[in-house]
Amino acid sequence: MQNHFQEIYNVLPLVLVACGVFLSVVIEIGSVKSEKILPWFSVLVFLGTSLFSVFNLNNCGTAYNNMLSYGGNVFIFYSLFNLAAALTVLSSMEYIKKYGSYFGEYYILLLSSVLGMMLMAGARDLFMVFIGLELMSICFYVLAGINRKKQNANEASLKYFLLGSFATGFVVYGIALIFGTAHTTSLEVIVSNFGSLSHNLLFVTGMLLFLVGFSFKIAAFPFHMWVPDVYQGSATTVSGLMSTGGKAAAFSVLLIALGAVFPGNAANVFRPYFAAIAAFSMLYGSIVAISQNNLKRMLAYSSIAHAGYMAIGLAAGNRESVAGIMFYLVAYTFMNLGAFGIIAMVEGADDTNLELKDYIGLSQRHPLLSALMALFMFSLSGLPPFAGFFGKYYVFISAIKADLTWLAILGVVSSVISVYFYLRVIVYMYFKEPEPEALPVHNNANGVLAVVISAILVVMFGIFPGTLINLITSYLR
Amino acid sequence: MNLIPIEYYLILSAFMFAVGVTGVLIRKNAIVVFMCIELMLNSGNLALVAFSSYMGSSAGQIFVFFVMTVAAAEAAVGLAIIIAIFRNKLTVNIDEINIFKW
Amino acid sequence: MNIYDIVFYLFAAITLASAFVVVTARNIIYSAFSLLFTFFGIAGLYVLLGADFIAVVQLMVYVGGILVLILFGVMLTNKITSVQIKTGTLQVIPAILGTALMAGVLIKIFTGTNWHSQMAQYPTKTTAYALGHILLTDYVLIFELLGILLLIALIGAATIARKEEKAS
Repeated sequence: MQNHFQEIYNVLPLVLVACGVFLSVVIEIGSVKSEKILPWFSVLVFLGTSLFSVFNLNNCGTAYNNMLSYGGNVFIFYSLFNLAAALTVLSSMEYIKKYGSYFGEYYILLLSSVLGMMLMAGARDLFMVFIGLELMSICFYVLAGINRKKQNANEASLKYFLLGSFATGFVVYGIALIFGTAHTTSLEVIVSNFGSLSHNLLFVTGMLLFLVGFSFKIAAFPFHMWVPDVYQGSATTVSGLMSTGGKAAAFSVLLIALGAVFPGNAANVFRPYFAAIAAFSMLYGSIVAISQNNLKRMLAYSSIAHAGYMAIGLAAGNRESVAGIMFYLVAYTFMNLGAFGIIAMVEGADDTNLELKDYIGLSQRHPLLSALMALFMFSLSGLPPFAGFFGKYYVFISAIKADLTWLAILGVVSSVISVYFYLRVIVYMYFKEPEPEALPVHNNANGVLAVVISAILVVMFGIFPGTLINLITSYLR
Repeated sequence: MNLIPIEYYLILSAFMFAVGVTGVLIRKNAIVVFMCIELMLNSGNLALVAFSSYMGSSAGQIFVFFVMTVAAAEAAVGLAIIIAIFRNKLTVNIDEINIFKW
Repeated sequence: MNIYDIVFYLFAAITLASAFVVVTARNIIYSAFSLLFTFFGIAGLYVLLGADFIAVVQLMVYVGGILVLILFGVMLTNKITSVQIKTGTLQVIPAILGTALMAGVLIKIFTGTNWHSQMAQYPTKTTAYALGHILLTDYVLIFELLGILLLIALIGAATIARKEEKAS
């Protein structure tokens, strides 16, 4: 009996979020005031889970017959997902009212998508990876189209659904081939036999199909075609969570479950694959983003570019790169959530106020928001002293250590290109004369709170990057 | 008695997978694209069952069971999305749905 | 050529031919119905592989559930207005070349691999017992999570597809 309680305590973050899903269903059905209760209830669940994970980092191990691992970097990911979701809820409270109707299901789906992300990060078994991936994706398919009266939300949802299921097809076939050659689905066994398995052509093919499926989810070139439309069409807050939590979850599988493959193995057979998607994603994302005038679409292309920078680390495949990518994910999550949070506040009903020209003169109408937006843009472009700079720095350094200097140089080049379109936003906000009939900004306390918290975290990780990176490195095996 | 070698099943599944991928890439109607995705999932299932039987382990068949459940969930969500889009726009051809560039 | 071989080739032929029809048929109803035969052929292959339980689930879930849903989708999006149900195609040649290459590589690898594990004889016992056992022991956590997944799919589908309620 003692054992069971201990086991439940070990995976308590998952239990908390799962209970949150059920309770939120009950609240939505049972209470007439669910509109007021549910947002704060989900914030409470997310914050509680996040804090519990942070305080139990040292309690490491595996649970449920080697299905899940807990503690260490897994819990860092748990707390990242939950914080991101809590910030998303804060920004959403006013945002979803702009569309005239209230959807209690929104919060239920947010909670369960976070449950899916957490399962992915903790998975020690390919089946668990698959279930987590699907739980997250199905929630996102629905969340993307949550404003179901809007045509482009429907369209975003359809495109995400079709391409997401397409990726699922690749993942399933890949898992089939991996199962057939490795004779197991336990990631621990696969990782420990990786040396001999990597000579098996069929295993490598299976892994490649699996990675193609995941490349869709991390939004890397050439599997990026859904990204701009989906991010532009979905509700802004949902795009924020998809681009940060969803990307971080897909990376967490590659880093925690398969990341252990890299350090022990000098011959990283997937290096050419990762190097190729990294190079193309960075350049494609940065160059195409220049021609975008819609801010959500611009951030979508920037998301592709950031997936490329992170994939540099996968190509390098050493201890430093695993830690570097994790740091990058944390930094990217908060700066991107902040940017999307501001866009959600500036955005008017019916998709207005999303163009770059709508930001002209924002500095006078709302100095705080535009200052924070400038901060996030600086951080996204990778200028010091913000967190985004150190994310790129750690990843590029790890690439140089792995003799991939050309990739690091390419990364720097595309970062320089990307400075143009990030700074252009700042130029529009501060240095252009406003038109007299500029639309008013509906800022709200909760949204501003979410953005300010993101900004504080971005600055904090920018000034004290060592704390986090040392913490992550200490949990790497 | 000669048994069918495992390769035959795998080759069949590879053909089906390729047919499914081709379908996703070339067809325009969202429902047909979804059917082709089901073909891809089925080819994965076939390979899994073949491996599982020839290896004498049940884990592969359990996974097929999971995939079927997930496919059912996806079908429900997917068709709901298709119906919502049809309600708003009255077409399900993915290149007529062109507010955005595809 | 014994009875098992004949059954295999029969079901393989049904599966592949109907899969081709799914992709190539101009009429979406034909696609949906040939998908029925694909699912059926695969269920037959599962039986041949000794996976009787999975074969039955295949028939129940795919044919009884998913295919019916798809047909509902076809009917609902068709009947409402008289939009043409003929469907066209996009970038055909590059797609076919790419996937043919992929299939070729896969098949080359399959035939080149030395399969140590071979089935001694066609299994005759049911797998339901073994599957049920590991489903509720080793994979019980995933089993529970599938429950959440189905709940969420239900909520999500209802959220997206329900009718607009009048004035709140």
